[in-house]
Amino acid sequence: MSEVLEQFSRVAASGRPAALATLVAAAGATPKKAGSTMWVAEDGSPLGSVTIGGCVDARVIEQARAVIASGVPSLLRMSLGDEEAWELGLTCGGRVDVLVQRVNGGDTSDASAAAYRAARATYENGGASVVVAHLDARRERLAIDEEGATVGTLGMPWLDERAREIAAKRLAVGMSSGIEQFTHDGTELSLFFEHLAPPETVVIYGASQVAMSVALFARELGMRTVIVDGREKMANRERFPTADAIHVGMPSELAQQIRATRRTYVVLLAHDYKYDLPVLREVLCSDAGYIGMIGSRRRGASIRAMLEEEGFTTAHVARLRTPIGLSIGAKSAAEIALAIVAEIIAVRQRAAGALPMTQPSAIAASP
Amino acid sequence: MIPERAMEPYSSVIAEHFRRPRNQGPLPNANASAEGVNPLCGDRVRFAVALDEKGTITEARFVANACAICVAAASLLTERVQGVVSTMAREIADDEMLRIVGEGVPTARMKCATLPLETLRRALARL
Repeated sequence: MSEVLEQFSRVAASGRPAALATLVAAAGATPKKAGSTMWVAEDGSPLGSVTIGGCVDARVIEQARAVIASGVPSLLRMSLGDEEAWELGLTCGGRVDVLVQRVNGGDTSDASAAAYRAARATYENGGASVVVAHLDARRERLAIDEEGATVGTLGMPWLDERAREIAAKRLAVGMSSGIEQFTHDGTELSLFFEHLAPPETVVIYGASQVAMSVALFARELGMRTVIVDGREKMANRERFPTADAIHVGMPSELAQQIRATRRTYVVLLAHDYKYDLPVLREVLCSDAGYIGMIGSRRRGASIRAMLEEEGFTTAHVARLRTPIGLSIGAKSAAEIALAIVAEIIAVRQRAAGALPMTQPSAIAASP
Repeated sequence: MIPERAMEPYSSVIAEHFRRPRNQGPLPNANASAEGVNPLCGDRVRFAVALDEKGTITEARFVANACAICVAAASLLTERVQGVVSTMAREIADDEMLRIVGEGVPTARMKCATLPLETLRRALARL
């Protein structure tokens, strides 16, 4: 569960109002990302990890108590001296903008609570959503999921529609939280789009040498990694020290158990019919955002033909990417892994210029 | 269906039982089951049997993520043990299993053919 939603659940369960402080913008070279949050209880105690450190804490907590009392959101814009900036991880003086809002899970009319409740339901279903907030005293909130379904309002139908359009674009590429500014009837407006999505997961079937490198690269990119194989000698901690999970068992049955959402990327690296076919029978009908299998063009065609003969539709079979990876002339296991992870990112980002192995290589044709 | 070309190295018995495995799938009311794995090649098979009150195998089924030889052997074994008393089924020898599977099992792949039988023995030993 994402930190903010997990903490929201705890706050909602308490039945007491709390303040949610969200870093919406930071000017300067900061390791803190927009979307970092801190909860403050009525007595001023912070809940969860404090992402806004040092002297800013005191100001946020002070403001939080006022916001809890009034229910009116507030945007704290703090210019920092060099010393303060250093405490926050900024390399020099800058500015941080922190939105502080009251969230009362026990109050059915609380717009923020309703938005986070909707986002939590979407998250628990494996989906992503954004919670849109005004960057001023307005209390209206809007939650928008990947299907465009909304909960709440920003107060004006045209603004809700504009927010939906922006959210759709942001969600399509998995854009992290951030501010969107636009002009309407000569007035400049700013909204904060908070991205709430389950982590991306790469599920690797076949604990091969290439799999070891895929797991490392994916991990480096912030993705969860899950290794599946029938052999303990291959799928173990020694070979996959950073994997989030290692499953040894019947791969097809494990494929049934590992829920695949749009943020699940399935990579088949066994290079063996005995795992590839049974696993594909399970994952081709799943919601997985990427399904790739190592192997030649000829082998891929053969597997596709087999699956079609078994009754899989052309659309299902077309989801299978094989040969796997972007066309970068990969030779070694690590290079092949790099091509695979690059293809996953290209698919996620819908990068139009990326050249999959399944397409004739324009790079090879260039001088 | 597996293309003809891919099946060329195997006997017609293996090809037939790999393409159309008999008694494949889980057996929810099993009295005994076991899972076997070849730790090197990764063949994995689960064999399950249901018995009547006299100890006769009334149903045998298997689930496998395994090579053609292993799948065919598991399929053939389910047919071989149907109606057999469990104590007799435990006595089936490797040689008989290899005869059932027929020609086309290279020496290096004998284990693929006997893995389902080994797994059945372990399942029956639990009774």
